[in-house]
Amino acid sequence: MHATVVANGTSRLGEWVLLVYRLPREPSTPRSAVWRRLRRLGVAQLGDGLVALPSDARTLEQLDWVAAEVQEAGGTALLWLARPSSRAEERQLVQAMKEARTEEYLELRTDALASWSAPVAERQRSLKRLQKQLREVRRRDFFPPPERDLADAAVAELGALVADPDAARARAGASAESGTGVTTPAPGSDR
Amino acid sequence: MRWVTRAGVHIDRASSAWLVRRFIDPEAQFEFVTGPDDLPDGAVPFDIRGVEFGHHGHDCTFETLLRRHHLDDPVLWRIAAIIHEADLDDDRFDAPEAPGLDVVLRGLSMVCDDHETLGLTGPVFDGLYEFFRRELLLGREPS
Repeated sequence: MHATVVANGTSRLGEWVLLVYRLPREPSTPRSAVWRRLRRLGVAQLGDGLVALPSDARTLEQLDWVAAEVQEAGGTALLWLARPSSRAEERQLVQAMKEARTEEYLELRTDALASWSAPVAERQRSLKRLQKQLREVRRRDFFPPPERDLADAAVAELGALVADPDAARARAGASAESGTGVTTPAPGSDR
Repeated sequence: MRWVTRAGVHIDRASSAWLVRRFIDPEAQFEFVTGPDDLPDGAVPFDIRGVEFGHHGHDCTFETLLRRHHLDDPVLWRIAAIIHEADLDDDRFDAPEAPGLDVVLRGLSMVCDDHETLGLTGPVFDGLYEFFRRELLLGREPS
């Protein structure tokens, strides 16, 4: 797997799937549909009409279908398997993907913490939305940054709050007093 | 008829194979190849880029098969929504069953060969079909 390739730094470079595509400017609907699909897959954008994912059976298949979508929309698409020419280049690519995910995880965490002070009904809706978003981000996260755990914990805590507000608030209060726990916003009204 | 698809079947190919055998070609024999370059002559390819029975427009292969064979059974379209979301995950349909079924199929493909996976998932899709058939008749979730 890529993560180990990058982590131990001694084995050969990881293989990547590259999609080179070109779509007519108009109509813009297929263009944005393709871009939405690619964003969802978590691609690294290497250039205009050039995106990459670490290669495995799934990513290869997914980009293969995007290529088909591009061709059906009147564009051209080529799928490549490639290796970066140096470890440094691969690291750069990995770093960029990590940073993109990190940003998403931190945003999720902020949202989850903010939902503590929302009215109950709204908090439940937020929880559902955040759980779904977290699942999506995790699916497109090929090189998990440490911030993933923060997002996981924040969404799990919000889940606990929705299921049992009193226990969750007591726990949050206790960890705040001991100065060890995650910071949670000041308790709002629960019901 | 002989039907051929890519090896390492997941949800779209497993469900399509079930659909083919139940509703399109009861005599269907399935073969698996590594890529589009290895397609044998005389077999109908499915869920491979560039063939008739693949993804087209917004449709995954299961939906394409339904459309091209004019299968308008609402129970099959209910299953299609699950397959679509499990395969494409684009939120077009509300199919909460999708992530669970996707994981089951991906796990199976890790411990079974493709023929075994089709053998095991056949009854799963039979069961889903029966469940949604009853749901449709009752107008609510069956017990």
